[in-house]
Amino acid sequence: MSIDTAAYVDDRPDEGIFRVNRAIFTDEQVFEAEMARIFEGGWVFLGLEAQAPGPHDFFTTFAGRVAIMVQRDGEGVLRAFVNSCPHKGARLAQTQAGNARLHVCPYHSWSFDSAGRSKAVKWQKAGCYSAAFDQQDHGLAAVPCFENYRGFLFGSLSADVPPLANYLGEAAKLLDLVADQSEEGAELVPGQVTFTYQANWKLQLENCSDAYHFTSAHPSYIRVLERRQQETSGEVVASVWENSDYWKEETQGVGGGSYSFPNGHVLNWGVFGITPAIPLYESAAVLAQRHGESKRDWMFNMRNLTIFPNLQVAENASSQLRVIRPIGPGLTEMRTWCIAPKGESDAARRQRIRQYEDFFNPTGMATPDDTVSYENCQIGYAGRVDPWLQGYARGMTASVEGGNRFSDRIGLTPARSVLADSQLCDETLYHAYYRAWAERMGGAE
Amino acid sequence: MATLTRSQAEELLFREALLIDTRRYDEWLAMFTPDIEFWMPAWRNETETTTDPDRELSLIYYKGRRNLEDRVMRLTSGLSTASSPPPRVVHVISNVLLTAGDADTAEVSAVFTCHRFDVRMNRTECFFGRYEYALRRESEAWLIVRKKIVLLNDVIPTVVDITSI
Repeated sequence: MSIDTAAYVDDRPDEGIFRVNRAIFTDEQVFEAEMARIFEGGWVFLGLEAQAPGPHDFFTTFAGRVAIMVQRDGEGVLRAFVNSCPHKGARLAQTQAGNARLHVCPYHSWSFDSAGRSKAVKWQKAGCYSAAFDQQDHGLAAVPCFENYRGFLFGSLSADVPPLANYLGEAAKLLDLVADQSEEGAELVPGQVTFTYQANWKLQLENCSDAYHFTSAHPSYIRVLERRQQETSGEVVASVWENSDYWKEETQGVGGGSYSFPNGHVLNWGVFGITPAIPLYESAAVLAQRHGESKRDWMFNMRNLTIFPNLQVAENASSQLRVIRPIGPGLTEMRTWCIAPKGESDAARRQRIRQYEDFFNPTGMATPDDTVSYENCQIGYAGRVDPWLQGYARGMTASVEGGNRFSDRIGLTPARSVLADSQLCDETLYHAYYRAWAERMGGAE
Repeated sequence: MATLTRSQAEELLFREALLIDTRRYDEWLAMFTPDIEFWMPAWRNETETTTDPDRELSLIYYKGRRNLEDRVMRLTSGLSTASSPPPRVVHVISNVLLTAGDADTAEVSAVFTCHRFDVRMNRTECFFGRYEYALRRESEAWLIVRKKIVLLNDVIPTVVDITSI
């Protein structure tokens, strides 16, 4: 299926114009092509290695619409398979995670070992199969490309992709900032939270990178922060935001900015400083020793990272790992976890968890004001009298090629960067999403 | 002094439901002790909820009524898109059982369904689960010291606030 990308993304850098058409969020044929070309046609995030730590451990997820099982065998080798029995196609592993030396299909009992090899076709000898069938491989279909970057597992259902290192490029260094917070790497805090919203997946993509909405969508949360600042007590959730001026309207001077990278990876960041409100504080000295002050300082910066198209790591109010799963043009499922450095103290872990629940949960005080806004946008996208959205223009004259003095500190080379005070709220970082989108959606199959 | 009766326990739970359903939040907050533990665990896997709020994630965990006051403040501030206009909710509470108790304390279990009509999206949803309460008698009145909500359908459709559980 060929998509005329110019009908959806109007990208004219020489004229200072970048616009996105509302139809990109609603058209069925766009969604179908996104699934085929982006989510099922290239690298997507599958999960963390820590989700299958021991021999024969597995977890399940999706690549686009395709059910995936990531399984570790008895020798410790991780592989990714399509979670579907080759016999009749039934979903094989039924749970989010587990441990299995053997997967037995619940429908007709075909079985597979933890390396995905066929163990038995039930009553094969009595089955009067043809020679052609007997010569076939009855094992699980392996995901054509599967790679592990420092515990972050990615897969591609298309074999025609660059190596993962090339796909991540410089953005890999931003995953390092997560992985290097502990010598043992990162883990997911037990307790997964899943929510849905009735709007397009790209709204989540954008909102993670959106500094402009914070004081508009979250004033009720800001009121709570102000109340807590006035009446601090032991039982109040200590918030990262309270110790920062980042969210305040009147803040002056450079507070952060944005970096964008090839293939649609994006970072939006702000200076938080080395403060006890951040659970990582207990490791501030040792991290500086281990990685140098520059990299340590970056670990303490507010960072919202998107690895296109489906992974977001948000380190702001706490630390969240999100996996975006588009279900339809107007329906998205979000699977979310608290991601944390292994081995942190009980006090730090408790603080991280409390901050997380308060801000990130769909049962908390911030995320619902985002997701409801996505739904309001989705409703508004039906309007085609003036189809071109004006939400991609802030920062146009501030965006420069390459990095700046902040990225230089950790040897990070983005494709473009914006250095911003708190009121600039760059929107050009979204261009990276839509340029990657257009690259993948346009051209021949 | 006599222990809490089941009919007193029902009265208390039904009253709490009425106060939430009719958005009488100040009266609702007054049913809790200042050191209330308000807890809705997340699910660790298909069959078990998380059990240690300090090491595992909860959907909601607050120690202290003050934190619930924050939630109410946000709900009623008029500044939260997700909370205005407020959804219409009805709690139906049943299977109330006294599980432990003496003259000054009581433990109560119950089940709930909460029907929510989201006027903003024309959407009707139903949330259901179990409650576990710990109550304490304080100068003749029984107050809630602990409320644990086990939400059984935990894939959250956009938002679940303290009013729909």
